[in-house]
Amino acid sequence: MFLKAQLQWNVIIPADNLDAKGLALQKAIIVRLMDEFAAKKAASSLGYFLAVTSLDKVGEGRVRQHSGDVLFPVTFTCLTYKAFSGEVLEGEVHKILKHGVFIRCGPVENIYLSHLKMQGYSFVPGENPIFMSEKAAKIEKGVKLRVMVIGVRYMEAEKEFQAVANLDGDFLGPI
Amino acid sequence: MGDKAGGKGGAKSALKTPLSSGFELNNGSTKSRKGMNVQFEFEDRGGKRDKAANGGKNPVKKPTPPLQLRVEQELPENVTCLMDCEAAQVLEGIQEQMVVLSEDPAIKIPASFDKGLQRAKRGNNYTSLQSVQEVLQNLKKHGVADSELCLIANIHPESADEVFSLVPSLKGKKNKLLEPLNSALDELSKIECSA
Repeated sequence: MFLKAQLQWNVIIPADNLDAKGLALQKAIIVRLMDEFAAKKAASSLGYFLAVTSLDKVGEGRVRQHSGDVLFPVTFTCLTYKAFSGEVLEGEVHKILKHGVFIRCGPVENIYLSHLKMQGYSFVPGENPIFMSEKAAKIEKGVKLRVMVIGVRYMEAEKEFQAVANLDGDFLGPI
Repeated sequence: MGDKAGGKGGAKSALKTPLSSGFELNNGSTKSRKGMNVQFEFEDRGGKRDKAANGGKNPVKKPTPPLQLRVEQELPENVTCLMDCEAAQVLEGIQEQMVVLSEDPAIKIPASFDKGLQRAKRGNNYTSLQSVQEVLQNLKKHGVADSELCLIANIHPESADEVFSLVPSLKGKKNKLLEPLNSALDELSKIECSA
């Protein structure tokens, strides 16, 4: 699900970017903010960072004594994407394994659907393995599935989310 | 839309293996490159408590309650949900500026931007964002939460049954919601683009 968040971060501007006229300073703050935003990549409470949409407020700068840099508290609005437990989403199968499949949806690449949560489907090995149902419905690479997310985990070190999904339920399945 | 595994006959399976235990990613005889152990946190379904209450005698398996969407409880302050169509409008606006933005090498675009944009575009099947917002605002008056509204808009349901099945948190208000929901779905189907 997409989220719109208003955040406050501290942006540090090196002394040589400080300009009396102010325009270059404004640009420097925006560029530095976007740099940090892109570097942070994701957060456990907000999901994957997608874009800064507006700069709402720039507070008073505070000079850092040893370096001469200036710290500005900046309030901005951004767009993020996060998968939630209980959410229904449509993803594309990108990897088929013996015990389940991996689905991607937006920036979330690793949504795991176990064969235990795919009632009626059995694994068909081969050069291009697939899962086939009793009614001859196929789940193979590239197929779009509507699933319900039943668990989400954030890995701080990799800055990535992983999720577990369920296909067993009314109105869930291949699209 | 396609061959969905739909219908009221579809059974929900109980968890056969406790998914709260870690599991490895394996591809037959070889381990995946990452070989990660993953553990997920799930809601306690009360299985252990039930056994204790019965004193270990013939524990009765209660049907597990459906997983509820609890976005509002998990979200920090100053964070709101957006529908796919709303996000698509914002992201497409940024994409239009991309030519100008990319001329300046100092400006960095987040790695997830493109994937987020593709996702939003795929979920945006409506001709008018404003109409979608107006239709769903009517449902909000009947006590539907923002996250539930977003989910309804994103899944493009064809019937009220589909909504109640995929958004179990609304089942409690089924009697109150049935009529306004049917009306909202009729309106949404009129403003949906044909794929």
